Amino acid sequence: MGVYIKNNSFDQLLTELSRDYIITAPVKLPGKGAFSDTPLVTYREIRGAGEIEFNEKSRFSPKEIIYPITQTLFYFTENEYSRPAVPDQGIIIFCRACDVHAFRRLDEIFLRNGGCEDIYFAELRKKVKFFVMECRESFENCFCVSMGTNRLEDYDVMLRVSGDAQECDARGDFAGIFTGYGEAVEMIPRFVEENHTKVTVPENIDRQVFKHPLWEEYSSRCIACGHCTVSCPTCTCFTMQDIFYEDNPKCGERRRVWASCMIDGFTSMVGGHGFRNEKGDRMRFKVMHKIYDFRKRFGYNMCVGCGRCDDVCPEYISFANCINRVNTIASGVSAHE
Amino acid sequence: MLDINTKKLIKNAYRVTKDRGFTALRVRVPGGSLDVRYFDIIKRIAEEYGSGRVHITTRQGFEIPGIPMVKIAEINEIMAPLLAGMESAIGVEINDLNGGYPAAGTRNVSACIGNSVCPFANFNTTELARKIEKVIYPNDFHVKIAVTGCPNDCIKAHMQDIGVIGMVLPEYDPDRCIGCEACMKNCRKVASGALSMVNYKVKRDHQRCLGCGECILKCPASAWTRGDRYYRLVIMGRTGKKNPRIARTFMEWVGEDAVLKVIANMYAYIDKYIDRTLPKEHVGYIVDRTGLPVFCREVLLDVDTGSMGKVAGFIPFGGYVYERSSY
Amino acid sequence: MNNAYLPFKAAITGVMPQTASDYTYRLATDLDVRPGQFMEVSIPGVGEAPISVSDFGSGWIEMTIRNVGRLTGVIHELKPGGHFFIRGPYGHGFPLEEFTGRDLIIAAGGTGLAPVKSILSRHCSGQGRLKSLTLLAGFKTPSDMLFKDEISAWREKIDVQITVDKIDENSSPWDGSTGLITGLITKVPVQNPGNTRVIIVGPPVMMKFSALEFLKRDIARENIWVSFERKMCCGLGKCGHCKIDDTYVCLEGPVFNYTRAEELID
Ligand code: SF4
Ligand code: SF4
Ligand code: SF4
Ligand code: SF4
Ligand code: SF4
Ligand code: FES
Repeated sequence: MGVYIKNNSFDQLLTELSRDYIITAPVKLPGKGAFSDTPLVTYREIRGAGEIEFNEKSRFSPKEIIYPITQTLFYFTENEYSRPAVPDQGIIIFCRACDVHAFRRLDEIFLRNGGCEDIYFAELRKKVKFFVMECRESFENCFCVSMGTNRLEDYDVMLRVSGDAQECDARGDFAGIFTGYGEAVEMIPRFVEENHTKVTVPENIDRQVFKHPLWEEYSSRCIACGHCTVSCPTCTCFTMQDIFYEDNPKCGERRRVWASCMIDGFTSMVGGHGFRNEKGDRMRFKVMHKIYDFRKRFGYNMCVGCGRCDDVCPEYISFANCINRVNTIASGVSAHE
Repeated sequence: MLDINTKKLIKNAYRVTKDRGFTALRVRVPGGSLDVRYFDIIKRIAEEYGSGRVHITTRQGFEIPGIPMVKIAEINEIMAPLLAGMESAIGVEINDLNGGYPAAGTRNVSACIGNSVCPFANFNTTELARKIEKVIYPNDFHVKIAVTGCPNDCIKAHMQDIGVIGMVLPEYDPDRCIGCEACMKNCRKVASGALSMVNYKVKRDHQRCLGCGECILKCPASAWTRGDRYYRLVIMGRTGKKNPRIARTFMEWVGEDAVLKVIANMYAYIDKYIDRTLPKEHVGYIVDRTGLPVFCREVLLDVDTGSMGKVAGFIPFGGYVYERSSY
Repeated sequence: MNNAYLPFKAAITGVMPQTASDYTYRLATDLDVRPGQFMEVSIPGVGEAPISVSDFGSGWIEMTIRNVGRLTGVIHELKPGGHFFIRGPYGHGFPLEEFTGRDLIIAAGGTGLAPVKSILSRHCSGQGRLKSLTLLAGFKTPSDMLFKDEISAWREKIDVQITVDKIDENSSPWDGSTGLITGLITKVPVQNPGNTRVIIVGPPVMMKFSALEFLKRDIARENIWVSFERKMCCGLGKCGHCKIDDTYVCLEGPVFNYTRAEELID
């Protein structure tokens, strides 16, 4: 259902929706960037449409809304476990086409892998409605077209900024609500059809690629900081932590916290033994997960081409370029780069 | 038959050089940041009146040598746009734009490149240097001030009468922290070891924290973000013949207004206590004479150090004296 | 919806010290476990860790826990009547049906003996359907030897060969062999390589070199199984720590046929 909604009406619409939904969107926080006097674009619960950052890519992905960085699994007292409450409202997420595709990857792990549903993820996931912000043009480092994640069928609302108004395609229950705030128009979603960055993911990756000297270069370049994986919308790894309260050691909580295969300790077992001590091996492990072994297991690539990893790497390591280098090696064009 | 008032010449930012009849002009570049269009003026003066060269000074100015003293008036007119653009434009009161620099005792306020380029810088050093220039210039008191973006102190604020060092209060959101320990390990390695891990989250010891912001730079999850901006003031560092020493912290975790006010007050203090029998007295030696408590009383007048601010009660200045017997 | 992360309380009915730092805990539970599977063991406020089941019977399971960290340190303080929390079992165990009628050789290094203990105890009490069973085990020193009483009992029924890396002054008297377990593998009698099946469990390096030795003894790759130890937070295929290539050790392992294991590049 296409609706043309002036910005002030759109704001009122969000106010109405906020009765039943927690509304989250990328917002631009001035001065919160790592460098002084720079902004941070990240996800927050919003109160009004004016807070939404429509023009810039967020540094962090929306996954943290339903898969929080730190999530309490249980609180415990001496003899009892209790679970933190789950909000009653639904959750609206303003995001982009690639981000919605990324949630499907999270679903694969949390809802299906190993045949068991992760209750914490599942309960929040069910509440999510996607309000997708159309990308007028590709941002720097995006390669969604190469990954086939530029287009999107399953959204709840599609939005296009049009001067001081939003052109929306609202579906389901939202169609009725949206029509009350604007006039009917035809709105056919448009998608980015070309990125500056293009990658070719190789069909088959020979074991030789795993052992190729290519990875050694990353051992000297990568600093294992984990920026790439923390910003990635598709990374799902976590570590469990138990804490007890200092004032009452008999009570505490078990949490899970995001983990990264790039950061020291990811594979360390008690007693100290670990795997992939070389950063190049971690790079290979990450890249292979994104473009190869996830696909072997689930039938499609994990990476959605959002380019955030390239946006944030302090060492200017380009994941996209690495894919292309792997492709060159895998397709045998130059076995000795 | 040259009859030159050297006192006036010096105040006009020219100097008496070893070549009789020749002078050198010192061009101020507040904050060390210069619009390249002023190169044309500097170039013209050097080519037409000087030796065709400039010396880049340690205070981030230009010194144009080889100028005949008789040309001073002419040159002062040529450099009017420089005074207008680099001094008047930032609020410095210059009565006669065609008369050259009105004072030279208070040296150029130098600054590291700051946050317009440097990732470590906690603020825009050029802007603050210009604000300070507005407060202190023109003035004949001999004072050196420098501004630096973070405790790396690339401008050597520790060699100044007043060094301003940028700080930031790191703000921590434990829920965003993935416990990677990057901030803690880095703080221990390059800063102060103010961070420790407790229950997998980070604890910051404010007593030890330098406010350098390294933790914010390292955090992959923006668990650390920038809170309010603060400054540390180090004072009475000096080189020279009498007791070279490095500046020590006078106050920290104070805001910009406090910094500017302390600097303004320091000029009043100098005015009040300077030994006028001497040709000039450097502020550091005045403090040596009056003692720190008097200095504190005077410079802290009407200064709001804010809720975070801390002021040193006692400063063990140290440094050394040239006692040859001890070599 | 079932919460797979929720552990349940399991009462400790016995604590059997094996060495100074390895204790075997018997827990009352009627879980259905296979040899080679593991549990996630936890103490609220301290932590959770994967521990393999060393033996089980009706109404109980046993786990042999080495004191190597905070969690295991706290567990080592516990006495019968106490409890800790468990969830599981997780992973696939050993493919026992593959071993029916076969000559099985088990090579275990250190605590690697725990996950195979139930195979040994079942066979020696006449419950197994193996043709024969041989145990090769290696420990650091004689005092690191696990299941001493059981081993004496097993010796009555099967060929047991034990080696230690070195004998230190505090060691109990030792008249067995010294040297690496690979030394035992080169000499172990293999009547019929085609009918022989091998299980190797131990530290990564030990498993790698033991497998190479068995290959030299004409054991086919597909007749060797190994058990992997990895960091495992969830046991459910969610946390990602145990993944190697497209394989989740917690789901498809920890026991792998050697043909798969040698393909897994960490
Ligand atoms: S790997 Fe990089 S480009 Fe791909 S989804 Fe993750 S952050 Fe985006
Ligand atoms: S293994 Fe690495 S790349 Fe894969 S999901 Fe986990 S953190 Fe991300
Ligand atoms: S962001 Fe760059 S340097 Fe940091 S872990 Fe990722 S690839 Fe390595
Ligand atoms: S601001 Fe600097 S000194 Fe303070 S905690 Fe962060 S890194 Fe350490
Ligand atoms: S760098 Fe950030 S995520 Fe890592 S421990 Fe420090 S605050 Fe936590
Ligand atoms: S242990 Fe978490 S995925 Fe295997």
